[in-house]
Amino acid sequence: MIEGKLYDGVTAHPHDVRVSVEDGRLALAQDGGWNDSVEAALLKRRDAPTGMLRLGRSDLPGWRLMLPAAAEADLAGLLGAHDRYGRWIDRIGLVPALVVGGVITASVVAIGYLAPHWIAPHVPMSWERNVGSAIVGDFGEIRCRDARGQRALEALVERVSPGATRGPDAIKVAALNVPIFNAAALPGGYIVVFRPAITETNPDALAGVLAHEIGHVRHRHVTEALIREFGIGALIRLFAGGVGANAEQIVSLSYTRDNEAEADTDAIAELRRANVSPKPTADLFTHLSKITGEERGYTAEFLESHPLSGKRARAFTASFDPKAHYQPALSRDQWDALSDICWKRPIKK
Amino acid sequence: MDRHHEWAAAGDDRAIRFTGNWREYLPIAATNALLIICTLGIYRFWATARQRRYLWSRTQVIDDTLEWTGTGKEMFIGFLIVIAVLAPFFLFIQFLFPALLARGKLDAAGGVFFLFEIALIYLGGFARFRATRYRLSRTWWHGIRGGSDDPGWNFGGEYLGRYALVFMTMFIMFPWATTRLWNSRWNAMSFGPLKFHADLNAEGLKWRWALIYAAPVVALILAFGVIAALGLSYGVKQGPNPTLGGAVLAIILLIYLAIPLATLHWYAKFFRNAANATRLGELEFGFDASTWDWLKLFLGNLGLAIITLGFGLTYWGYRNWAFMVRHSRIYGSVDLGDLTQSTTHAPREAEGFADAFDIGAI
Repeated sequence: MIEGKLYDGVTAHPHDVRVSVEDGRLALAQDGGWNDSVEAALLKRRDAPTGMLRLGRSDLPGWRLMLPAAAEADLAGLLGAHDRYGRWIDRIGLVPALVVGGVITASVVAIGYLAPHWIAPHVPMSWERNVGSAIVGDFGEIRCRDARGQRALEALVERVSPGATRGPDAIKVAALNVPIFNAAALPGGYIVVFRPAITETNPDALAGVLAHEIGHVRHRHVTEALIREFGIGALIRLFAGGVGANAEQIVSLSYTRDNEAEADTDAIAELRRANVSPKPTADLFTHLSKITGEERGYTAEFLESHPLSGKRARAFTASFDPKAHYQPALSRDQWDALSDICWKRPIKK
Repeated sequence: MDRHHEWAAAGDDRAIRFTGNWREYLPIAATNALLIICTLGIYRFWATARQRRYLWSRTQVIDDTLEWTGTGKEMFIGFLIVIAVLAPFFLFIQFLFPALLARGKLDAAGGVFFLFEIALIYLGGFARFRATRYRLSRTWWHGIRGGSDDPGWNFGGEYLGRYALVFMTMFIMFPWATTRLWNSRWNAMSFGPLKFHADLNAEGLKWRWALIYAAPVVALILAFGVIAALGLSYGVKQGPNPTLGGAVLAIILLIYLAIPLATLHWYAKFFRNAANATRLGELEFGFDASTWDWLKLFLGNLGLAIITLGFGLTYWGYRNWAFMVRHSRIYGSVDLGDLTQSTTHAPREAEGFADAFDIGAI
């Protein structure tokens, strides 16, 4: 006989009960003559302070039986195992769960990082064009629409990548009247150049920047980034909450460091083919790295989506051939037209 | 016959006590952290359930502990339900917004953004209500649980309306809005057959709120005074003035700290007043944490996380709960015979909405 207290789940009033085990069932009795017995399968351990054993019933939500902790030995046959980490973890055990989970987590992150790179080249260009025209549109008022400037901008693209602005997969280049120094490749073969990237540079440096963005388009890096962002990035963000923020950052960077390096290699090759000096591009990167503050240490660099401009500048500098007879990327007239692209009155369509 | 009379407010006879200790909690904290990392974060629902089960079972109220019956599985499923409902909406916005921007339709994009923000505020209020309701429905004492029969849709509307007023008055109306919302939320809650009754008002909270506006101004005036005093007593020929530099730095830090400290000062009083203004049947509540107590809690949390290189983060929930319980008071009596089972519906989406909107707390 074990003395205990019982809540019946109907009122908060505690009843004194005596408990024993009879024929594999839990028998309860009270002084007034009331008695009851409970099937072992219905009993479940509940949380209790130290020194107490608390049992519940799966069929009666508020039913609780409180016994001294020592009673556990007497009831051992009736009670199942402790609920520890949650059933799915308990079933395989903590250590196996950690090992299996660790391997799965590492693979998911690795696949999330690599898969977009494998899938992207197989996504039909027409899909990317559809997504691109849905998202990008015509840029409305922020696009600089001067016709001569636009011709010069397209000529610069043709200069570094002949034939790029023609055909079904044509690169569509646009200057935007946005006061930030930047250029970007967008889904569907769009390349946008922001105003300061034209007005605060020179034709050769802009050629290098455009060649780099063309590299992103050609290698399907944009598609890759889209898959990464909406695939694995969304998934991790969904479940991982705060803990996964770092993991998410690693997999959902707009472009990976490999992408950037690949686009740089392309740009260097195209500048050489076009006989345009890589020096101004190198100077531009050196200048940018001074603005943004260079050498943030290895960890910071690892997490950066863009390799440090200083390192990139060295790659462009190294490709400079002092014996070559480089030609300017654009004629004087073309560059003047391009420089004014955002200032001329827009041509009505 | 079952009346528990007039529980004293001090010593071991306190009607509400926290009996846990950090060594006992360590295995839970450590395995939770490991499992969360090894499951891409999915385990966090089960981790929350384990944490609460421990904390509730170490919270003694009068003569028995609380019990948490919420499970990781139900929180996980609740989260999935909410995501299934909200994901299409979010995805649509994620495409629509840049598409409008890229077409130069700035007004339309602004309009979409505005509507989106309104929906977020409404759902944020709704989530807060549902989280309170869920937590009460999974909290048991003497075999009885709490809950609410109000689904919380109207509360979301009230929350949106009051916050609209708060934004329009540059937050001047904030104390009124929060106190009214506290009342609306708690007046809809119950434990067993007993209704919570909250009657909080902004009386006594206005001056501390005004202090938040005054703090940066006062700090700035102080700053000019100090700089002027230091600058005048120092000759220009002597070169750069190290004391002045230090003073400027200290003052900049002070201005940055003034607003958060003044806000904390306000919240400390808000929680004391709120507990005093809330009753459950014949039970009355109290809360005695001062601004300094809160500051010690936050600095302690921060220090612990830094010293333990991040592992201390796993103790924040524990420390916050222990803090709340240690500063809580319960007065009055409860008739155990009259405290019958709750008839409220328990929500099935658990804390999915609160999770989706990152309204965490413990």
